[in-house]
Amino acid sequence: MTLIEIDDLVVEFQTSRGTVRALDGATLSADAGEALAIVGESGSGKSTLGTAIGALLPANGRFASGSVRVDGVDVGALDRQGLRALRRDALGFIPQDPIATLDPTQRVGRQLALVVRALGRDASRAALAQMLDEVRIADSADVLRRYPHELSGGMAQRVAIAIAMARRPRILVADEPTAALDANVRREVLRLIFEAAEQTGATVIWLSHDLEAVARWCRRVAVMYRGKVVEVGPPGVVLQRPEHPYTQSLIAAMPSRLQQDVPVRTYTELLAAQGAEAAAPLPSAPAPDRARASDPAPASADEEARA
Amino acid sequence: MRAARWVGGRVLTGLVTLLGIALLVFAAVRVVPGQAERVLLGPLATDEQRAALVAELGLDRDLVTQFGIWMGKVLTGDLGTSIVSRQPVLDELAMRLPVTATIAIMALVIALGVGIPVGVLQALRARRRGGAVVSRVVGGLGISIPEFVLGALVVLLFSSVPLGITIGAFTPVAEDVGQGLLSSLLPALVLSVFCAAATARTTRDAVLGVLVEPYVQAAVARGETPWSIVRHHVLRNATIPILTLAATLLAYLLGGAVIVEGLFNVPGVGSYLLLAMDRRDYAVVQAGVMLAAVVFVATSVLVELVSSLVDPRVSTIGARA
Repeated sequence: MTLIEIDDLVVEFQTSRGTVRALDGATLSADAGEALAIVGESGSGKSTLGTAIGALLPANGRFASGSVRVDGVDVGALDRQGLRALRRDALGFIPQDPIATLDPTQRVGRQLALVVRALGRDASRAALAQMLDEVRIADSADVLRRYPHELSGGMAQRVAIAIAMARRPRILVADEPTAALDANVRREVLRLIFEAAEQTGATVIWLSHDLEAVARWCRRVAVMYRGKVVEVGPPGVVLQRPEHPYTQSLIAAMPSRLQQDVPVRTYTELLAAQGAEAAAPLPSAPAPDRARASDPAPASADEEARA
Repeated sequence: MRAARWVGGRVLTGLVTLLGIALLVFAAVRVVPGQAERVLLGPLATDEQRAALVAELGLDRDLVTQFGIWMGKVLTGDLGTSIVSRQPVLDELAMRLPVTATIAIMALVIALGVGIPVGVLQALRARRRGGAVVSRVVGGLGISIPEFVLGALVVLLFSSVPLGITIGAFTPVAEDVGQGLLSSLLPALVLSVFCAAATARTTRDAVLGVLVEPYVQAAVARGETPWSIVRHHVLRNATIPILTLAATLLAYLLGGAVIVEGLFNVPGVGSYLLLAMDRRDYAVVQAGVMLAAVVFVATSVLVELVSSLVDPRVSTIGARA
């Protein structure tokens, strides 16, 4: 069953330097309960796409055309109350910088209590400690008494996950949830997110830079470039045999490739090397689940560049 | 333990500041041209009279001893005697301070009661164009209108139209609480206009700053209602600048508002000090300056302590520095 349907979405921001298109006809859909990763460089529109699901665009942004549907409901057409209900009942966001998303003036326990009370649930000390136990915080009673600035990044991210999961959201949007964390904590936090999602049947939309981790955790990956979704498919296919030149350059820059002495070029460099032919406009957004032909992938950009 | 040391440090800093101000006041009075006995007794006094006064005031001793004696007296509550009225300064201040304090607190309550909600609303509606213009004009007017203009208008209005409050007949709260509060109302209102406008502006800026914080965005993303977000997150985090302003306003108001006291015939601290300066009543001037200093230092120490309670990072940063 399709839970999220993003159709030809255009999002524009009014800036001092004029109108900027963050999304330029992005099309993507996600099924209930699936784990979908969105990869792409900074500025490709990943984050905008993630926030668009909850209509959480900054004040200077707007849906110019296209639509976002969650469970068949057009998010752009909802009034304030409808939006609040959608965000409260269906969406959970896991932030990039978890410490900043906690109120600096209140202890963790108090903030958890605020969230739980808003849901009309038990906000006793024991219930709050239980919430932290579920995200594998060892000394939950102690952490409840701490202020956000007294938490480590990993600890704060667990608290943020506990807050997001408290409402058992149907959709969990994680915007580079491990970007601010130490390498050894990353894996643990990812496991926590995906296990929690699996338990509750939540759909995970994971915005990431980490292609190798994406291949490990997600059944499908979408590649974004310049406000469009340029490629969607199973990580095995998209990452092994990338079709779009941008995906190829993205993969060429993976750390494991670097060790193999594969020359790394940015996409722009590739375009320059390939000349006018490759500089042609990007292919329009493919159908979300396009069947991939079994014929050989187009010649690798690297080879072409070398020729 | 760390918190106790931090609090102790703040209080100690405050005391050192006061000692410095005491030294300055002490020195200032002695630097003023003309010997005190000549200024006080005038040109017709005899040498014996002058010598007697010098001995009475202790001016024949060395400066360190003089300062020590003065500090000792101040610490035991003896602020000296007014040369004009021959009354102990402490008694006179004790009579006038409650009058000023009543007006100051009333003005502050009105200012915060009006200024904070207005500031929050202004911040929440900052994006709507029409509202921003109106609030800016009204706020700018409130901040810039001089007290003597506003006060004079109020006096004119209330003395030409019978509105239930008599201008010029001031009743201290100590004599009659109801009448005292009523007669404090107009001066407090006049004083509160500037304070309310300043509070609204500070609140608006503080709230606008908090609204873009990630924890507020996170609360929005959780679908919390605007009222709940303002109550639980915005106000708490906007408290510190508002509190700092409120303390400054309180200290300013307690120092006595000379113009407003004059307009409304209020027997407050401000008019008393102005008169004392005019008549070179040094004991009163010294006491008045020390009083103002104590009020300022005490409120600022209090603000720092309350700030550290509101935002735990304040004391942490303070301890590290």
